[in-house]
Amino acid sequence: MSQPVTSRRTPVAEWGERLGLPILLAVIVLFFSVFPASSRAFFSVANLTIVLANQSIIMLVAIALMFPLIAGHFDFSVGAMTVLAAVVCAGTNAQMGLPIAVSILLAIGVGLAVGLANGVLVARLGLNSFVSTLGAATLIGGLIQWYTAGQAIIGIDPALLQFGSRQWLGVPRVLFIVIVVGFAAWYILGHTPFGRSLYAIGSNPRSADLVGLPRMRYTLFAFAMSGLIAGIAGVALTARTGGANPDGGTFLLFPALAAVFLGATAIIPGRFNVVGTVIGVLFVAVSVSGLTLAGAQSWVDAVFNGAALIIAVFVSSVLRKRRAGS
Amino acid sequence: MTVLPALEASGVVKTFGGTVALADAHLRVGKGTIHALLGGNGSGKSTLIKCLAGVYRADSGRIVVHGEERAAADQTPAVARRSGLHFVHQDLGLFPQLSIAENIALDRGYPTARVLGGVRWSRLEADTAALLERFEIAASPRTPVAALRPSQRSLVAIARALADAGDDAILMLDEPTATLAEHESQELLAALRKRANRGQTIVLVSHRFPEVQGVADDVTVFRDGRVAATDAMSEMPIDRLVAAMTGGAELPHPERTAVRAGSAERLRITGLHAGALRGVDLTLAAGEIVGLAGLGGSGRSSLLRTVFGRLPIRAGSMELDGAPYSPHSAAQAMALDVALVPEDRLGEAAFLDLSVRENTSITVLKRFWRRLAISPSAERSSAEALVAAFGIRTPGIETPLGSLSGGNQQKAILARWLQRAPKLLLLDEPSQGVDVVARSEISAHVVAAADAGAGVIVASSDLDELFALTHRIVVLRAGRIVADLTTSSTTRDEVAHLSMLDSEEGIPT
Repeated sequence: MSQPVTSRRTPVAEWGERLGLPILLAVIVLFFSVFPASSRAFFSVANLTIVLANQSIIMLVAIALMFPLIAGHFDFSVGAMTVLAAVVCAGTNAQMGLPIAVSILLAIGVGLAVGLANGVLVARLGLNSFVSTLGAATLIGGLIQWYTAGQAIIGIDPALLQFGSRQWLGVPRVLFIVIVVGFAAWYILGHTPFGRSLYAIGSNPRSADLVGLPRMRYTLFAFAMSGLIAGIAGVALTARTGGANPDGGTFLLFPALAAVFLGATAIIPGRFNVVGTVIGVLFVAVSVSGLTLAGAQSWVDAVFNGAALIIAVFVSSVLRKRRAGS
Repeated sequence: MTVLPALEASGVVKTFGGTVALADAHLRVGKGTIHALLGGNGSGKSTLIKCLAGVYRADSGRIVVHGEERAAADQTPAVARRSGLHFVHQDLGLFPQLSIAENIALDRGYPTARVLGGVRWSRLEADTAALLERFEIAASPRTPVAALRPSQRSLVAIARALADAGDDAILMLDEPTATLAEHESQELLAALRKRANRGQTIVLVSHRFPEVQGVADDVTVFRDGRVAATDAMSEMPIDRLVAAMTGGAELPHPERTAVRAGSAERLRITGLHAGALRGVDLTLAAGEIVGLAGLGGSGRSSLLRTVFGRLPIRAGSMELDGAPYSPHSAAQAMALDVALVPEDRLGEAAFLDLSVRENTSITVLKRFWRRLAISPSAERSSAEALVAAFGIRTPGIETPLGSLSGGNQQKAILARWLQRAPKLLLLDEPSQGVDVVARSEISAHVVAAADAGAGVIVASSDLDELFALTHRIVVLRAGRIVADLTTSSTTRDEVAHLSMLDSEEGIPT
């Protein structure tokens, strides 16, 4: 048998690892606050508010993504589900004239339905989630193009628009949705038997079967949660933009993916966790915002997101392997 | 009979950390003979094969192949191949979806055209057809490997290994019949005998006695990393083989409480057909520990898995505490307080990247539920208590299970189940890959669980373990129970005999 590989690290090193990303985030905020080219605009309340409000959608999408990822499956359709929910919300309200409350419920319901469909394909029919959710994302993108004919939907109920653009207590209102959803995800994943079982299923599905966990049902639930939260994110997106833009949702998917994997390098290293994910979103957003204000071109956004994703996947898989002792 | 040696190994030593896997092993294989290597799990036969293959680097010893001598420590896979040693491992390394020709080309390289480097398929097929004919495999080069019978697949792997080899090549086969049904084994062995008669030297690793007896010229038996016996097959009657493999000596039985007279019947199995089982009857009393002996594929694991709801029942019935019992899932079995520690710890029991705490609490999560959430303090103190009670050596309960040693991982898995105080405890090879100290600790916990009233079934290929632990030993062969013995009045020889003999041969009672 292999020797125990218990590497006794010092408490300082361990805390350094847990808090590496938050500390890095603080350093970046500090840097752009004093760096002459960006300092004036960067550290203004207005800029921070805009960053937080804009990122709240990505935070929601990232939290949605966590559920299937923890159970060991990709869900590449979260971005598309979010845009679809936004189109349903804006379309039924602005074009069909349904009350905004009904539109919101419809949007969330559509997200949940698509999530359930993904869950059936992966958990019941055993399809590879990587491919099937990529297919779902493409299919949804096509439906969105068909429904909108490539035109943005505008003219939603001003009440929702105001919710998206105004603040409570100096905090953008949409951020409260993130706080509620984030807290719920933190609670479900870390403090209920369902969440704990998801981590076990993602760790070793065969062992999960042999300790009596309902693997198929829970995997299906994980995709349903993903769809539900993507639906909520779609409503928040409608509120922020005052309508819906026809898009495949990749502008949401990739920053969210990067954030979730970055998040797995912090707080509980080697594991997907809510707090890490939120910090991951902020890390990417603050860095890109700072670079843009410092005069970088718009392509920096994509390059930074891509690089962050690759580095995050690398670091989190190293951490995961070290945890598994191989 | 004096035959020139094709392969000689002497004084081969291999240690892993502090564990001696192979101590002073020697082997002499005559040219054109079939030489069988026998021995139980961990006896050292596989280690020797891996040293010869250059997969493991031996600590010391010499290897002579066709008169060419070198230090065993210098053996590498490339050197082994060049010197004429060709290996076919238990996992044949074939790609089932690809054709025979493609499987062979992946090893030898594709014949390519001079221009553009495209594959010359006609040439490949012609070469493969010639090879198949040479090895008397009745199949077309285009046949996908998945469409072949199991024995033909083994022959394709052998043909591939020997495709470019010279006439004096030595073929080393590691458990080639382990996964084959009886008639498939016969067919493969007959083909091997034919090759040997034409001068092929073959080394055959196996644990199936009768078939080895029928086909091998010579035999070397390993036990505890040493050669226990080596002789011509004709000089090795089955009694001598069994004695060599088991060491003959009886180990002292440790303290074991007698089953209380009049204990309630815990489990009754009647005419059970499931998985590899073909009509099994078994009863188990509360507080009783029953051992399952038998070779791989005899139905030991099938029996445990069926009782745990993991295999569908084709025929027959089960009763748990007098009530009909037919679980369809692990969850249903668990609801009735049945527990299974599976054989494959890494694949089917452990969550390596989760902490010791998470690994032990996964079967009792609902116990820690306090109104709104899992109570971290209740869970932590439960995990701390288990670590202490089971002597799990770990830096802490938050340490990932994967960084513990095998024995401590197994203790954590056992703790995961025993904290539920199961009525029926099923253990499949509970001390596999576990050091001696952990093994005795695990045994102590199993005995304690039985004393507390659990019915225990232990499947093990380690007779020492069965004799140390059980009240009764049930011997399975080919899916049937061939003997139900009281542990204190039987011997290792008898159990070994019973599990290995062909059913046609007489069974001593």
